Amino acid sequence: MKTIKLSSNNTDQVINDTITVLKSNGLVIFPSDTVYGLLCDAESGEAVQKLISFKNRPPGKAISVFCDFKSINKLVKINNQQQKIIKEILPGPFTVILPSKHQVNKLLESEKGTLGIRIPMYQLINRLIQEFGKPVTATSANSAGRPANYSIETLLKELTNKQKELIDLIVDAGVLPRNKPSTVVDLSQSDVKILRQGDLDFSNKSKIFLSKSAEETKNIAKKILEEIRQPAEKKPLIFIIEGELGVGKTVFVKGLGESLGINNIISPTFVIYYEYDIKNQISKMIHIDLYNIQDKQEFMYLGLEKLLVPGNILCFEWGEKAGEIINLLKEKSEIVYVKMRYVDEKTRKIIIKD
Amino acid sequence: MKILAIETSADETAAAVVEERKVLSNVIYSQILIHKKWGGIFPSLAKRAHEEKIDLIIDEALEKFKMEEISFIAVTQGPGLAVALEVGIRKAKELAVKFNKKIIAVNHLEGHIYSAFVQNSKGNPKHDFKFPYLALIVSGGHTEFVILKNHLEYEIIGQTLDDAAGEALDKAAKLLGLGYPGGPVIERLSKDANNIDSHNFPRPMLKSNDLNFSFSGLKTSFYYFLKKNPNQTSKIKLLASSFQEAVFDTLIKKTEKAIKSTSINQLIVVGGVVANMRLRKLMRDLVKKYQGEVLFPSYKYLTGDNAAMIGVVAGFKAEKDLFVKNVDELDRIPRWSL
Repeated sequence: MKTIKLSSNNTDQVINDTITVLKSNGLVIFPSDTVYGLLCDAESGEAVQKLISFKNRPPGKAISVFCDFKSINKLVKINNQQQKIIKEILPGPFTVILPSKHQVNKLLESEKGTLGIRIPMYQLINRLIQEFGKPVTATSANSAGRPANYSIETLLKELTNKQKELIDLIVDAGVLPRNKPSTVVDLSQSDVKILRQGDLDFSNKSKIFLSKSAEETKNIAKKILEEIRQPAEKKPLIFIIEGELGVGKTVFVKGLGESLGINNIISPTFVIYYEYDIKNQISKMIHIDLYNIQDKQEFMYLGLEKLLVPGNILCFEWGEKAGEIINLLKEKSEIVYVKMRYVDEKTRKIIIKD
Repeated sequence: MKILAIETSADETAAAVVEERKVLSNVIYSQILIHKKWGGIFPSLAKRAHEEKIDLIIDEALEKFKMEEISFIAVTQGPGLAVALEVGIRKAKELAVKFNKKIIAVNHLEGHIYSAFVQNSKGNPKHDFKFPYLALIVSGGHTEFVILKNHLEYEIIGQTLDDAAGEALDKAAKLLGLGYPGGPVIERLSKDANNIDSHNFPRPMLKSNDLNFSFSGLKTSFYYFLKKNPNQTSKIKLLASSFQEAVFDTLIKKTEKAIKSTSINQLIVVGGVVANMRLRKLMRDLVKKYQGEVLFPSYKYLTGDNAAMIGVVAGFKAEKDLFVKNVDELDRIPRWSL
């Protein structure tokens, strides 16, 4: 283990020595715009293995990489929208998650095949990347789960002898300013899809309402529920409500709730669904929001089948994400589709089909 | 008196062992993927797959303790996701029967309020209770004002009528094309823009006379602004900053109103959104104006959902003999209000 103190007149030597170590699959502790990082050649299996045994981190947990604007398109898939965001926030203290093109060693990727990218506002690393010509790992120089380090002195105290043996070079830039570790921006999330076009067919027998206010939207909801609900339901009744953010889906559900004697409905986005007792009945109203469902697998853990009881009313916001379970719902319940659209900032078109 | 606490109200599967206000062990699934004991590749389980995680989490929390040392079992009864709450409650019942322990049922929101008094294993921080407090719980799922009159005595004086503040920030991030969770990204972008408010988005409910919140109108106007001005991504930092300021300004002005109407200048501000340093600063500035004090969750892990805070509340409940009388009948209350 060799240590070089960084000064204003030895940056060339620091870069050269670092590149020499990287080329021989070694590990380098290196300063950054945030905390001390642990660098190795991100394309070398041997180097990455070494890094992972240092971090004491099981494979499957992603490790991000430093790269530059020139090489970013070789490492990850980027669409136009993502490109705009990247240009806006990088270079900077962000780790941007995108689908990997598997150019780097696979152990650095997440289980979903995504990769974290860092382009820091830090001259020394940018120069290193440029001259090395390959991405290097950008993980913090500490064991997984331990606090990040801002000085070499505290860092060395934390390390075991075994870890120290794995380090080939330390570039000591003194005490770094206490900038927070980078913030993760996950641009890879694709919405869980979803119904095919045509699964929701609104062409026949649909009713169209125009609403000019939240109050009117509630009244439309009440009116529809009165028309549809049978006194002795043989099946649960399901509203699948579809429409963009802020269009008034929760307002519609509040309207349904009010006509059932439920006045404390709030957004269930965070918990996925809330249950309410329908006044004077044993039945329940369940207000479901699939907005935060990111993985089809998550449907399994919602226990929705148990709620498909005659008399119960289930209202799905972001019902278009219910693709996975729509057949189950169709089989066991009466379904009412509600499509909500912006006409202008105040006016909404509400299309109902049962 | 040691308490084993279990929390499964939403995404997190969590367990802790506490003794009075001291946390002796604290385990949250999403933060401990790395434990050596499990070695190799740890299965990445779906969110809310509590049933598959709970035994591991409890074993880990109890690693240094014997079940005989544990006096009581605490569990979150609500509010939260029914199917998630059920897992924690079922486990608590199972352990209670097996080891002949009493159960203490805790409201998730009182847990958050007490997170400002949770101590580490050495008993720090030491600050004592100075009732009454005005508490603001501000998270991804909740935004409400509660007066903490004395231990376990609560009065709700205002709450959101639709979205929670944290949810509004997450959704704004999504509209800007930034992933989930959006809160930390919005904070960092806003900081880069020096927290400037260049757009002056509407502050909902500021004119209403009550202490309730509504964030869905702000979300709508933000959506509409982006729709009318589609090429705004180049101003992403200013947009993030302006949106954050609209949310925080609303929180601050309503809190000021609450301070005035209750004459309480001792604040507790808790929940995931107080991980945001900008909000903390604004809250500190506000209480200074009223010669008051503000307490935040004593450690960062306490801003999010965790079992330590549930255990600490349970300790105060145990002192008052507030145990579950009939364990068989203990059931989750998904929209349990304080």
